[in-house]
Amino acid sequence: MTVAQLQAAGRPVPSRAVRARDVLASEWTKLRSLRSNRLTLAIAVVVTLVLTAVVAETFASAPGAGNHPASIDRLAGSFLAYAEYTVLPVTVLSVLVFTSEYASGLIRTTFSAVPRRGTVLAAKAAVTGAAALVVGEVLAFACFFLTQAILSGGHGGLSLAHPGALRAVLAAGFTLAACALVGVGAGAVIRHTAGAIAAAVTVVYLLAVLCLALPAPWNIRLGRFTLPYAAYAEVTGHPPAGLLSPWLSLLVLIGWPAAALLAAAAVLTRRDV
Amino acid sequence: MNRALVVLLPLLAVALAFVAGCLIDLSHARVRNLPKWAWAVIICISIPWGGLAYLIFGRDWTGRGAPVPPPATVPGAPGPRVPRRAPADPMVIEVDRLTKRFGPVTAVDGLSFAVRPGTVTGFLGPNGAGKTTTLRVILGLDAPTVGTALVGGRRYQEFVRPLHEVGSLLDATALPAGRAAWFHLLALAQSNGIGKRRVMEVLELTGLETVADRRTGEFSLGMKQRLGIAAALLAEPPVLLLDEPVNGLDPEGIRWIRQLLRAMAADGRTILVSSHLMSEMAQTADHLIIVGRGRLLADTSTADFVSGTGQDVRVLSPRAGELASLLMATGAAVTPEDDGGLAVTGMDAAAVGDLAASHGIAVHELMARHASLEEAYLALTGASTDNRAGSVPAGMAVR
Repeated sequence: MTVAQLQAAGRPVPSRAVRARDVLASEWTKLRSLRSNRLTLAIAVVVTLVLTAVVAETFASAPGAGNHPASIDRLAGSFLAYAEYTVLPVTVLSVLVFTSEYASGLIRTTFSAVPRRGTVLAAKAAVTGAAALVVGEVLAFACFFLTQAILSGGHGGLSLAHPGALRAVLAAGFTLAACALVGVGAGAVIRHTAGAIAAAVTVVYLLAVLCLALPAPWNIRLGRFTLPYAAYAEVTGHPPAGLLSPWLSLLVLIGWPAAALLAAAAVLTRRDV
Repeated sequence: MNRALVVLLPLLAVALAFVAGCLIDLSHARVRNLPKWAWAVIICISIPWGGLAYLIFGRDWTGRGAPVPPPATVPGAPGPRVPRRAPADPMVIEVDRLTKRFGPVTAVDGLSFAVRPGTVTGFLGPNGAGKTTTLRVILGLDAPTVGTALVGGRRYQEFVRPLHEVGSLLDATALPAGRAAWFHLLALAQSNGIGKRRVMEVLELTGLETVADRRTGEFSLGMKQRLGIAAALLAEPPVLLLDEPVNGLDPEGIRWIRQLLRAMAADGRTILVSSHLMSEMAQTADHLIIVGRGRLLADTSTADFVSGTGQDVRVLSPRAGELASLLMATGAAVTPEDDGGLAVTGMDAAAVGDLAASHGIAVHELMARHASLEEAYLALTGASTDNRAGSVPAGMAVR
């Protein structure tokens, strides 16, 4: 009805795809125009690379490392610094995508410019997720090559052709996007920055820590369904018994952000702003 | 429902793909000799992002998507920039038996009114009268408990590109503190397919072009108001909704807004401006909608409201009793005042003076008095104010 009325009024009616591209462009402008985003990301990248080098040096100089290369996980070790100093800041920035707009009241302007709230959520998730994926993949490769270059000085690093190596690097990059989307969803559902960060960090880190504290068979049995365990299953060359296969872990890596975004979509469309 | 489908289907696809993937994994089948990590990469990246892309670029579920006709060229005769062109179709705002409850609190209670094109309509009421809630319902931000709020016969949510239909300013301080004004407006413009040139134009129009690259957190309240007006004018909409737009503006800014609103109204646009200050609205609005406690108190033209307010003549005379009986004999109503003066209604000051002179009665003071609009407004809304200040304690009385 509305489109027919608009056409009758001689007003051009953009297709859904055109409208969606407009909203994507808008959200991308918002993401890139915040200096705090660029600054936080730059610091995270530098800290991650420096600490990755430090970790690699420690591995390379560990006693007996040369004799038993399998005693340390040369693959998963590449991502130790990345897993904390990149994932945490990016998760927090992703939470802010929604909560900063709620805090300032800007969300009302956003939703009055684009009343289809699902489109806003999708555009924010797509832009944030894509940015996190690019940053994650680039950093994951950088961390891998940096670590292996340093290790090759000691007892020989791995190459990308090593079984599981490429999968590990790509999955490490994807994990960042997954965590970012958890952050976006948590921000949209909870609306308050502090609470949403707490929720996102719980999903991204703390659930796994809680599971560690459980008695023996249950720590892995439950823990394998958390994000950190799933990410570990993807990146380790020597998976401990009981972890999910990389395939099922991938499902876990996608399940959490999917659940967060689904909850956000359900809540956003029903609530007053 | 469509929206839910659009979100659910890609996620369902992801879930199905992974169930399939897991089955392949469990059966250790080698599909086309691809190593597992390759499958992992393909699924990992393509399906969720494909799903999102589908969500965003996918065809319209309802099949209503129409190809975009080439933009109509506006004959650009350079003239006064405000307003650049008349609205394509003047639109009426209709609020019909609108009720909005927040838990036990009823913010808007069966409110009905219409706002017509070509006039500036003032939306008046004390704080907490439900003005902002009503505006939020009109903008589709809050769902009404009962009733409807339509713009041009449609719900706000139905607008394809709402900035082209309704320009709004709800809260001028709702700005991204860390973002430059230019990027704030650009993001808003992009979401409705408005170009960069128009963003530059509204910045010039509101006198903000020199501070466009400054972050909005550094702006004064007056600059924020101007930025909010700039955002509302982005697509030259036929309807403007402004909530307290003069707050924080200097006198020059207030005059500027007044002229802008008058010009836009003269152009056939529909303009609804809320305020809690009668004096401000009396100078700007042609029509007044006055609410209190969520109910309609008055829906009248400003001229009618003004003429409906009381006026009388105050006269002070040493022979007040004599004068009073003379006045009453001519049909005027006389009320004695505390200081011995008389308040006369039903007769103008000149007639009172002539009457006194013709009977040789000295007059020490003669004054025509108009009850101020503010008083009339307070009298109207007084009973409906939520949190009236208590009466002034005796010791603090100014007299």
